[in-house]
Amino acid sequence: MRYRRITPYLFIGPMIVGLLVFRLIPIVASLAASFTRWNVFTAPTWVGLANYRAMLGSPDFWQILRNTGVFALLYVPGTMGLGLALALLVNRELRGVTALRGVFFMPYITSVVAVAIVWRWIFATQYGVLNYLLTRVFGMAQGPSWLGDAHYALLALAIVYVWQSSGFQMLLFLAGLQNLDLSLEEAARCDGATRWQVFRHITLPLLSPMTFFILIVSLINSSKTFQVTYALTGGGPQNASTTLAYAIYQNAFVFFRMGYASALAYALLVVVGAITLANFGLRRRWVYHDEPRAS
Amino acid sequence: MKSRFLIASITLALLGLASAQTLRYFSWEPNITEQTNALIKQFEAAHPGVKVQFEADPPNQYWPKMSALAAAHKLPDVFYMSSGYIDEWQTNGLLADLQPFTKNVDWSQYFTGVLSTARFPHGANGDLYAVPIDWVGPVLYYNKTAFDKAGVAYPSANWTWNDFLDAAKKLTVRDANGKVTQWGFWAYGRYAHIEPWVFQNDGHILNAARTRIQVDANATAALKFLADLVNVDKVAPAPKLMSGVNQQDVFPQGLAAMWVDGSWNIANNRKIIGDKFQWDIAMVPRGPAATSDTAYTWPDMMAVSANSKNKELAWEFVQFMTGTARPADTYLAGTVPFAKATEEAVLKSDASNQPAHESLMLELGKLPSRTTFTPKWSEWRGYSAAGGGGMNGELDKVFNGQESLADAIAAFTSYGNQVLARVYPNP
Repeated sequence: MRYRRITPYLFIGPMIVGLLVFRLIPIVASLAASFTRWNVFTAPTWVGLANYRAMLGSPDFWQILRNTGVFALLYVPGTMGLGLALALLVNRELRGVTALRGVFFMPYITSVVAVAIVWRWIFATQYGVLNYLLTRVFGMAQGPSWLGDAHYALLALAIVYVWQSSGFQMLLFLAGLQNLDLSLEEAARCDGATRWQVFRHITLPLLSPMTFFILIVSLINSSKTFQVTYALTGGGPQNASTTLAYAIYQNAFVFFRMGYASALAYALLVVVGAITLANFGLRRRWVYHDEPRAS
Repeated sequence: MKSRFLIASITLALLGLASAQTLRYFSWEPNITEQTNALIKQFEAAHPGVKVQFEADPPNQYWPKMSALAAAHKLPDVFYMSSGYIDEWQTNGLLADLQPFTKNVDWSQYFTGVLSTARFPHGANGDLYAVPIDWVGPVLYYNKTAFDKAGVAYPSANWTWNDFLDAAKKLTVRDANGKVTQWGFWAYGRYAHIEPWVFQNDGHILNAARTRIQVDANATAALKFLADLVNVDKVAPAPKLMSGVNQQDVFPQGLAAMWVDGSWNIANNRKIIGDKFQWDIAMVPRGPAATSDTAYTWPDMMAVSANSKNKELAWEFVQFMTGTARPADTYLAGTVPFAKATEEAVLKSDASNQPAHESLMLELGKLPSRTTFTPKWSEWRGYSAAGGGGMNGELDKVFNGQESLADAIAAFTSYGNQVLARVYPNP
């Protein structure tokens, strides 16, 4: 077969079409939609900035934005800390360590329906495992209503999301750990460094490019919470566990306020984008690169 | 020779296509696809040359899909329509007016009490925009075994709210430490739990034009009675105490001896209760402000697209599918077929199952019915994935002892009216 100029484009064509149809065009279209009032089944009407004004003037929006922030503060350190701990645990030459890695990764690929059923049992106010432990073992008079009380619902969801996704972060950390240059650790140990000192001053800095990548991924994931919320709290009680992603779904597919939902989506983009950019700015303060930098 | 044969067969095929009429039909009941296909075959046999294309998706996928089809002007000829969404679809001109086709319908064979939801304007005189398939309505579920143990007489048609409260007190059982092991009642803040009490006290939570939230004194009294059951009389648990248990499982698990919810829960009750205890259904007790019973019943319906090119045929199909052809065993227990004859068949085949008084549904079907459905109902009431918000969320707070009823009414009225004002700028 002769190689023509068009050949490479033919190969990447289907991919490009898919990307355009399912990602890029909808992204632009939803920006346009955010300036309209659109119930999906009739033609949209142009309303200018009305959706954004309504959003900024709505106390619900600010509560949901705060929920999204609080959730990220619980989720990101939680899933990264647990992911790193698990990675350190399984990054050894132990018998059965492969099986252990599989077990830790399991929640990530388990059906959300099953996850929801099990965590409902754990979180149930009266007959739940968690409150049973709190009252019987730790002697609390009455365990909280994890899913039904506005003070705990978001925390409960964060616990489930951390549990669910840490296996994935573990895998990434593990990949990072196994790529480290062991000679540096060995040299440090020869010089009499303790295990903590090796970890703190050698392993962590060497791992920092991977940590940075995981931080960005976790931040973005923290803004995409939907399935567990849907299955466990439905965003309640009274919006207490509604995050932006969940509010977008509610507005788009329950209320059919596609214009308003699009405006919320762009608010989410601005928030996540700003935080990600800030992180890239802060990067040079703590991320080390082993390759010498061109200066 | 060969090519001539080919041309002839192609021409024949094209002729066949031209004469064949195709009806597209969408439902949200993929679980009865087999029976639906059998019905479609019957219909096609009776209408030579007609082909019915059928698709079914579960409700959470059905609505986004239908909305997209409506936007693309590609709605199927005949499709399922819910009470919660019909106002929105009708006001946007998506549904065909079926009134002209109804001249020869013998309505006496059907439960016409639920037609009001399908008529626009709502009421007896509006034009018909959909035909009910079946209907449901909340009832009072009660645990007969618990009643017997407590020595309380079963609910009767003349039960007052005081009788109900007395029974609830006696049915609330505490252990030696004062911890409740069985609640008298399970109160919850969703539409099927609240509205029946409001209507049975002749109350309204909407204004007469159904364009604004307006909670009248009778409705407030009903909400107060329910809130007091939890916070003052302590005969019902705060919802947060029951979190972790599906709300529809509280009664069948024996955690509460009475419960008001939709009749469709009969199916779940049968599954969970089995023969662990005896239970039955009764009318929701009437409040002090009402002189007669008002039911809260609403249908699932079939509508015809306003753009359908085969409206007459579509109407015939709708009549066939909502009539007596559909077998009784394809209806979920507790949903009442629109055709009375089918409901009688259901009751007959159900005779040996609990509840003993399933025929209460026949009485509910005769009563005048009230609903709170409006455009944007899912938003101001709180529904489906938004079940924790709107009026639901405020009532949850009241039942959880975190907000006064007056504050809750003020909050959901203000929120609901902001939502409704987007549809009806003028009340």
